[in-house]
Amino acid sequence: MGPNREKKGSHSSTSPCANLRAAYHNCFNRWYSEKFVKGLWEKEECISEWQKYRACLSEHLDDKHLSRFLEAEVVVDPAIQDDSGNPVDGASVGGRR
Amino acid sequence: MVKAFTQEYVYKHPWERVTSASYRKFTDHENRRILTHILEVDTLSCKHDPISKKLYTTRAVTVHFPGPWFIRKIIGQEICHCIESTVVDAKSRSMQLSSRNVSLQKFIEVEEKIRYDPHPDNPSRWTVCRHETNIHLKPLPALASIAEKVEQRYVEKVVKYSATGREVMERICTYLEAESREIRRL
Repeated sequence: MGPNREKKGSHSSTSPCANLRAAYHNCFNRWYSEKFVKGLWEKEECISEWQKYRACLSEHLDDKHLSRFLEAEVVVDPAIQDDSGNPVDGASVGGRR
Repeated sequence: MVKAFTQEYVYKHPWERVTSASYRKFTDHENRRILTHILEVDTLSCKHDPISKKLYTTRAVTVHFPGPWFIRKIIGQEICHCIESTVVDAKSRSMQLSSRNVSLQKFIEVEEKIRYDPHPDNPSRWTVCRHETNIHLKPLPALASIAEKVEQRYVEKVVKYSATGREVMERICTYLEAESREIRRL
């Protein structure tokens, strides 16, 4: 994911997915504050934004440390477990299964 | 050698607003001028469990690697990739973040766990943040004589970044509060 050496404080992002990322994050943040925390969680949202952003990431995210965490059809991160200690899988915000 | 410490902080804002701010902390563009060590933040997965109603997100956070020039010379890199996993339970109003570096693990392992819960004394209006950090510097021969100094340097950096992060969070909470007042007025 980019070169090993980066200038400190360079904030004009070099990521080719920057615009799609911003669109997704804006959508997610709105959904989170206006729907999710208020218990309005029935409808899937930000689907189009997520699909475009995720497609860009899967093309450009070449760092091996990170790409293995990129959402596939079923995502299991051993660090995330439910109360029984089982890794979790579920419906996505913005992704289709 | 492992250094472990905990920081606690109270936000005088409701849990819903504080957790919204937590998600925005690294992604809102205006904060990047302040959080200069954060280079890139990408969402890698986002799952909403329809049965438990919990939200699970995984993000990649690429940071500029703090350390003096001779450390960077030994490591050979200036950036570090971290994975941040978050579980939010909106029904019980709890958020837990777990963050760890997934590169440079031969040199150092830093694990952070942050919890946001309603404050027991004022659960509808205040939020308590509990932030645990574990720093494990690996016993590299090249660093043996200065290991303790390096470790202390990282502790100082974490404390400094945490303080800056909290300032940013407070700012976002103030903004969200003003925004919600404006919406109610319309």
